[in-house]
This record gives sequence, C-alpha cells and structure tokens, in this order.
Amino acid sequence: MFKKALLALPVAMAVGGAAQAGEWQDPADVLNNLLEANPDSAYLHQSEMNIMMMPDNPALWVADDGEELFYQERGPNNASLESCDFGKGPGVLDGAYVELPRYFEDVGKVMDFEQRLVHCMKEIQGFDEDDAAVAQRHGSGSDIMQLTTYIAMQSSGMEWQPQNDHPEEQALIAAGEKLFFRRGGAQDFNCAACHGQSGKRIRASVLPQMRNSQEWTKAVSWPAQRAGHDNVRSQNHRIRGCVWQMRHAAIKPDSMANTALIAFWNDAARGEPAILPDLKR
Amino acid sequence: MFKKNTVAAGVAAFATIALATGCAVAEGNKSDDVDITAMSADELAEYMIFESDSFRYDQVPQEGGTMEERMTQDEIQAACSIEGDPDGETAGRVVALAREQYEAPEGDIELGDWQRGEELAFSGYGYRIGHRIDDHSTREAGGNCVNCHVFDEDGPAQGTIGPSLVNYGATRGDSQAIREYVHQVINNPHQYFPCAEMPRFQGLLSEEQISHIMAYMLDPESPVNN
Repeated sequence: MFKKALLALPVAMAVGGAAQAGEWQDPADVLNNLLEANPDSAYLHQSEMNIMMMPDNPALWVADDGEELFYQERGPNNASLESCDFGKGPGVLDGAYVELPRYFEDVGKVMDFEQRLVHCMKEIQGFDEDDAAVAQRHGSGSDIMQLTTYIAMQSSGMEWQPQNDHPEEQALIAAGEKLFFRRGGAQDFNCAACHGQSGKRIRASVLPQMRNSQEWTKAVSWPAQRAGHDNVRSQNHRIRGCVWQMRHAAIKPDSMANTALIAFWNDAARGEPAILPDLKR
Repeated sequence: MFKKNTVAAGVAAFATIALATGCAVAEGNKSDDVDITAMSADELAEYMIFESDSFRYDQVPQEGGTMEERMTQDEIQAACSIEGDPDGETAGRVVALAREQYEAPEGDIELGDWQRGEELAFSGYGYRIGHRIDDHSTREAGGNCVNCHVFDEDGPAQGTIGPSLVNYGATRGDSQAIREYVHQVINNPHQYFPCAEMPRFQGLLSEEQISHIMAYMLDPESPVNN
C-alpha cells in the first residue's frame, strides 16, 4: 500500500507543476546520487548497512501512519490537518518542509516545522498543550513523529530553501550561526567542536562538516530512522542530544533559540536535495 | 573551584534572567515584545540564550550555582567563539588568560593508577543535564578523552578530533618536565593550543583523577605505551 503511494507521488507532482526547487525523488535515490558525487566522504559512506537498508527504511511505515493521521478528523474540534498552512497555502505539503523555518503572518513570527505542526494541532484540532498528541514529541509511536515523517517526505529530493526574505528570517539565520559557534557550558563546547572538520570521528561515529553542504544535507535530513535507537528521530531530537552532550542548558522545543539553530542548519544545506526520510546510525 | 565563578560577574550585560517556569516547552518566542531585527546577530544570540525562554534554567548544575551561570561565557569562551583558528592577537590573549587561570600543583607531580586512568579516559559520564541528568553522587564524572583521542589501537573505537596519543609516554619519557606539561594541557589546553576544542578539566576532574589519566598516558606499563 505504501509502495503504491511512493510511485504515485512523482506523477502527481509532475501534473501539478509545483513551484518548488526540484522534483520529488525517492530518498534512496537522493542518497545514492550524493554518495556517487562524494566518493571520498567518510561521513556519507560510513555505514554500508544503512545504505543497503534505505529502500526498506522502517521510517517509510511511520510516514504511512502519518498520512492516515493527517487526513483523520481528530481532537476536540474533530478536524483534519488539511487546512494547516505550512507556508505554501492551506494543505499544501509538496516542498513545504524544506522551506522552513519561515515567517508566518498569522502569528507574527518565524516558526520551524515542529512548532508550526503543534500550532495547527492546537488551533485547528483543538488539542491542549498537555494532550499527548502534542506533548509527546519523540518516538515512532508518537503522533508528532508520524505526522512529521509523512509531511517531510513530501519534500524528498527538493532543495533546502529555508525562507530568508523577511527581516526576522534573516535575523534568526544570522543569530543561529552565532549560536553554532558560541562556546560555553561546563566543557567549553560549541557545535563547531564536532562539526568544524571533515572526516573526523567521535568514537566510532564519523561526523558531518557544517560547511560541506553535501555532507550537511544528510546531517540535517531528519526525520530519519535512527538505527541505534530503533526509532524515527526529528531535527529537534538531534538538537536536544547535541546540547546534552555539549553540557549546555537543555534547549526547549518551539523556542526562539531552537528555531534559530534549525534556520541556520537548513541554511547551511541550502540548494542541496533533502533525504526525507533518511536512515542514520 | 569551578572556573566560571571568577568571571561570571563581568558578563552580566544580558543576565536579566527570565523567570524559571518549570515548563518543558517554550511559551513561544517573545518577538511580540522586542524588535529582534534591531539587534546585531551577537546581541540576538545572547538575548536568545538568556531572555527568550529557550532554555531550562530551572535545573541545577552538578557543579553548583545556576544554569544561567553555566551558560554565561568567560573570557576564553567568548574569545574562542569564532569559526576557524584565532588570529595572532586573539591567540596571544587566550594563552595569557589560560596561564592566569591555571593552578600548578605544589611539589613533584606523582602519577596515579593507569587502570583507573583508562576507565576515566573511556567514561563519557558527567555534567550532562536536560532530559537525563548525570548524577555525580552515584557515579563519578569521567574525562571522555577517547571521544576525540586514540590512546590504544587495540581498544574499542576511539575518536580522531584531537591528535592520536598512542605511545605518548613511550616516545616522550616520563620526566617531571613532561608530567608538568601534560598536567598543564589537561587542566587548561589553551596555554599551548589557544581555542582548542578540548575542555579545560581544571575543576571538572579532581587532581587525583587527573593523576590517574596521566598515568594512563605516561606509565610504561599502560597499554598506551605497549
């Protein structure tokens, strides 16, 4: 059933004549093209097993569950998410994920994907802050991760284009870059301590370099099945883990600093195709 | 003494502390109240750290004090918040600051137990906070050295961000001069490598723990040297 959806998507895109940068591509093909273009990247080539598993990525089943959730009438308002505007108009998902974060007129601020999804689930479906549907942010079984995986997948193969026309979008990208290099916490770390050089390892893990955009597009291509966690993980989950390892104060989802980091991350992958969903170690 | 206490007072510019709400999700960014486009990128980053309700400042750091204090930069952290290597002026200033901060041990430096040092070099425990909190009362903090350095090619996977330390003692000997140098680098690497990625372990590990890690590097019996 899911495989059918996979084949139908590119056809729908072609007919629709969408305006986003690049056409939908199977995430396994996106990765293969990156591998062929970067034969010497130790980061991209580090796990033969994961590369081999891409066509059977368990995240594809999570996307399938997310599709069902997206169209289902749910919450106190008994509404589907079809009227949610992720920036390209109500219900438009094709290419929406790779253009986030962006400034939203209706809230007067820049939002990243997860923040926008939660906003819609509250405003349209009527979920409360404490309802599990929006409070449970992590794990393949969570509504948030299932919806995230489905919606993100509609941007697979398209270029990262986080919006940068609005002054607040520009401000967040610039401040996000400062945060990336800001050393602090109990052990003096910044993000660049691990992502400043290419081909280096933390223990067994080869690290992506932020300025190498073809490594970085894989690095920021979440949601991804995290093989070692046996769960689909989000950009927010990656940020939370890095901040924890860096011995900084815990960062909150839906916060300005979190959105700024994501805006800068996605900006550093600008113009490169997204692998959605990806499979990581 | 934890290294921040001496300098925290000097960096109070943005330390108007948001009320700790105990809430795990941000109330939303505060762009309604303040024009974020009127700030420089540096100002906005500091605003985000301390005043935008982006961090969980209700938690208590293992070293004592507050999480705001942990997130407040000292002069070395501020000077090294750059992309790439520091310029000559910055490097010189960072070396001078690091020498000021460094506390030399009194008398000769004795090596500890290399086996304890090996455990500490491989332990990544300590000082993490957030969704899981490292509890120093049940388990001591480690040095996390193998995240970035290879010590023992026969051991489990070790990282490569820092230089390999294989045969460190075997090639350099174990004189007091070498011990003094290693002690200086572990406690405050910026004395020799300004803006190095490596943490300053002065105050994070005890003198005894550092003597064990030094034994792991320098003891002729250690697998590092065999």
